Amino acid sequence: MSQTNVVAGFSGDELRTLTCVLDLLIPPSGDGRMPGAGEVGIGARIDQLTQRDPGLRAVVAAGVAALDAHARAAGASVFAALAGDARLAALHEVAAAQPGFVPSLIFHTYAGYYQEGRVLQGLGLEARPPFPAGHQLDPFDAALLDPVRRRAKLYRDA
Amino acid sequence: MAEESVDVLIIGAGAAGAAFAWSLAETKMNILCLEQGDWMDPAQYPTAGLDWELRGLGDFALSPNTRGRPEDYPVNDSESPIAASMFNAVGGSTILYAGHFPRLHPSDFRVRTLDGVADDWPVDYAQLAPYYAENDRMMGVAGLAGDPAYPPKEVPLPPVPLGKLGERIASGFNSLGWHWWPSDSAIATREYEGRAPCINLGPCITGCAQGAKSSTDVTYWPAAQRRGVRIATRCRVREITVSADGMADGVIYYDVDGIEHRQRAEIVVVACNGIGTPRLLLNSRSQHFPDGLANRNGLVGKNLMFHPYGMVIGGFPERVDGYKGPTGCGVMSQQFYETDRARGFVRGYSFEMMRGMGPVSTALWGMMAGRLPWGEGHHAAYADVWARTGGVLAICEDLPEPHNRVTLDPTLTDSNGIPAPRIQYRLSENSRQMLEHGVARGVEVLEAAGAEWTRVESPLRVAGWHLMGTARMGTDPQRSVVNEWGRCHEVRNLFVIDGSIFVTAGAVNPTCTIQALALYIADTMKKKLANLFD
Repeated sequence: MSQTNVVAGFSGDELRTLTCVLDLLIPPSGDGRMPGAGEVGIGARIDQLTQRDPGLRAVVAAGVAALDAHARAAGASVFAALAGDARLAALHEVAAAQPGFVPSLIFHTYAGYYQEGRVLQGLGLEARPPFPAGHQLDPFDAALLDPVRRRAKLYRDA
Repeated sequence: MAEESVDVLIIGAGAAGAAFAWSLAETKMNILCLEQGDWMDPAQYPTAGLDWELRGLGDFALSPNTRGRPEDYPVNDSESPIAASMFNAVGGSTILYAGHFPRLHPSDFRVRTLDGVADDWPVDYAQLAPYYAENDRMMGVAGLAGDPAYPPKEVPLPPVPLGKLGERIASGFNSLGWHWWPSDSAIATREYEGRAPCINLGPCITGCAQGAKSSTDVTYWPAAQRRGVRIATRCRVREITVSADGMADGVIYYDVDGIEHRQRAEIVVVACNGIGTPRLLLNSRSQHFPDGLANRNGLVGKNLMFHPYGMVIGGFPERVDGYKGPTGCGVMSQQFYETDRARGFVRGYSFEMMRGMGPVSTALWGMMAGRLPWGEGHHAAYADVWARTGGVLAICEDLPEPHNRVTLDPTLTDSNGIPAPRIQYRLSENSRQMLEHGVARGVEVLEAAGAEWTRVESPLRVAGWHLMGTARMGTDPQRSVVNEWGRCHEVRNLFVIDGSIFVTAGAVNPTCTIQALALYIADTMKKKLANLFD
């Protein structure tokens, strides 16, 4: 659905909180092969998306605000200042209180993350679109059909 | 504004319009095709960008309701479990199709005689066989001769490669003793007629940037144009008009700026697909035809047939790299095609192998399927599905039922104010039984192939891409809209040549049969030119 209204982007603090959330949704892998979603810049992507989608904007902004409020209540200045376990606990609490927050983020996070060059390389792919290089496959092996060739005619005459 | 009259006006530049135009051009008649879409630029197809998967959910989505491109018209399919899909362009729905290209069986033309349901066609496999062959050559079809599921036939090009996934699935069929064969595929597997060969990009259904998939904009249309056929694009036909004697005399259409034009023609040929064609005919009301053109018997729009699809996805214990290779072409099976009443239903279904998903699609599907949590377990869960999935689609024969129909929506219109089509469709008990059997066998074959888990989606809502039956052919004017060579019973210079004229649906993708029929109709017209309207 196209949106014609463009709203201002997230503030620096809001983007930092969002980036932390994204790194909780898809964290860096333990072996270092896969980056976190925040690390590869999905925050900027979601920021751009929400500027054209006021509904999504409202949900994400509310979740971010709630996380920062949670952090202040715990004595931290912003969400990013919380320790790792505390961040995850806060995210679970806010997700329960605002049921649309995480689901709204998940689709766009997954969609953006799995297009990123570093992620594709982590999956063993080249960081490129399918065209023009394509993919190599071995030619068809007709020997696979030997059992089928021994079968009788399968169609009805008419 | 009125243009100079033409001999033959074709409405729609898709699979049927293209084949027909090329064939009839031999007569040197003045032939014009009006197409509401435009020529596609392969450089703009999604696979040239990293966002190719998301564009397949957006501007290159299957459903016109999702795409919302300027040349799309909306379809009210809210009263159908299957959503319609089509594409408007030079090439029509062949721009987005997977190119899976099997023929109907001889028995598909004799359903009443053999199985006591539906009707027989007024043509048969033997009559269409030479046109199937000609179409295979013109389009460039890959496959392998010797399939025991068909009468003998030649195939111009070698089969598409199966890859690890296809070989696993083939082994599954072999272990069960079930039929399978490499798919008949409208894909150039080697250089063909100046077209580059397939490079196994994967997502054929967002347009082929390589030009290897045999869409009619790169096959029939250049040849038809060299024979003198003209195509006018961004011309949306609103209605076919009739003269005082009740013969079709042309059309009214809108150009890209919304300006109305009149195009006169001696012969009008409709090739707008099984939803677009009845929509156009129903929108073409006149004193002679108050209920829509060629619709005095009330059959236009009725007997809509889809192919109900059941999808089974399997997860394998190691990588099968299913994202490589043509998405819908690889292995096909007709083990359960012909009727066996012991199964609990009449008629049958085929299997079409479905390749795996790209990285984004894997993630989004995993999310939807509940297999991909966020947080600490995400990467391990993703590794379990990435490049480890593939599946089979059961393509079920749909029987014609008059209550399954296309009418005009009372309020929804396209951007030119033309009433949109409304689909009312429900699955029959026969289809439900068939789907149940098909997905169960699909699970069986994937498990035989080594799948550790399977997931079923049936019926597959997005799979309304085969549109048939809504202007059916037959010899009885009371029970059909067109005769055995596509001429409308009620309007002798009006022809329908797309999937609307199917009498039954068979259990395979219809495009090659649509094109064989279009070639047959063109050839018949050429032979009858001297008394075409008798």
